[in-house]
Amino acid sequence: MPTAMLMASEAAAEATQNAFTVSGPLIVASWEMFGMTWNLTESVIVQWIVMLIILVICLVLGTGLKVIPTTRRQALAEWLVTFVNDMVDGSMGEKYKSYKPYIGILIVYVILCNLISLVGLRAPTADVSVTATLAIITFFMTQYNRAKTGKLKGYLKAFIDPLPFMLPSNIIGEISNPVSMALRLFGNMVAGMVIGGLIYFALGNFAVLIPAVASLYFDIFSGVIQAYIFTMLTMSYISNAECE
Amino acid sequence: MTDMEILAHAIVLGSSALGAGAAMIAGIGPGIGEGYCGGKAVEAIGRQPEASGAVTRTMIIGDAIAETTGIYALVVALLLLYANPILGSLQSALGM
Repeated sequence: MPTAMLMASEAAAEATQNAFTVSGPLIVASWEMFGMTWNLTESVIVQWIVMLIILVICLVLGTGLKVIPTTRRQALAEWLVTFVNDMVDGSMGEKYKSYKPYIGILIVYVILCNLISLVGLRAPTADVSVTATLAIITFFMTQYNRAKTGKLKGYLKAFIDPLPFMLPSNIIGEISNPVSMALRLFGNMVAGMVIGGLIYFALGNFAVLIPAVASLYFDIFSGVIQAYIFTMLTMSYISNAECE
Repeated sequence: MTDMEILAHAIVLGSSALGAGAAMIAGIGPGIGEGYCGGKAVEAIGRQPEASGAVTRTMIIGDAIAETTGIYALVVALLLLYANPILGSLQSALGM
């Protein structure tokens, strides 16, 4: 019995080596500072690449603009700006003009972070610390907008609205917004990554055509839709936090 | 590793795999919810085709909200499979 068990565990260990595993982002470098360990992960490096891509896009689209567009790239740039303008005006209203740059960069950034997995890099949004950062920014913008529109009285009153005994559920609701936003983007991206990996693992040497079809849905469609949803939810949370 | 420790690990690993599978039963809920959402959106567009843009936008947001519980279940399942906290507490209890 003991030997059989040991053999079984050895076989299991061998099977684990051949099996499909999912790993977190690689740690490229780490150092000690202020009594904490700071890790430079793959996600950060890929985000730098995404930022470089955005910089190049801005330089290409933003130079040599004319009042009457003559080039195709100016038409594309104007289409992008009009898209963001209409999106913010449509779901937040005219008075949230100052949020347009953030919303615009957020949707472009998240779309590029999702789609960069197409070139073989690990998508930074499949790392919960990246999505949680974006969700926490949204959370603080929500709180800022509530405090700005309602001042201290309105801000505190929003927590006992409509009745004082709703206070605990209001606080939980306020905290669960960023948690659900972060986990939604992370869960969708990591699910796409896991399913893509499983398909490659299952097909082995015959991985032609089928992974491409799956990637069309899980990488391109899901990536763009989730970026859109993340942006729309950011906008609706910020504008819903407004006090009368 | 003694036999008992191997057995304890086997029980924890097997139960975690079962738990991960059971957690994903929660996928039923978002499926039903998003199905209703899409069906009603089609009805609405059928009645008012000119409002299709606004209806689609609202539908996508509704889908995203309905999806939340399914994503929570997925996160629980992934934790059980790849970052098992129960296995860690077992190993610290055994002093490994």
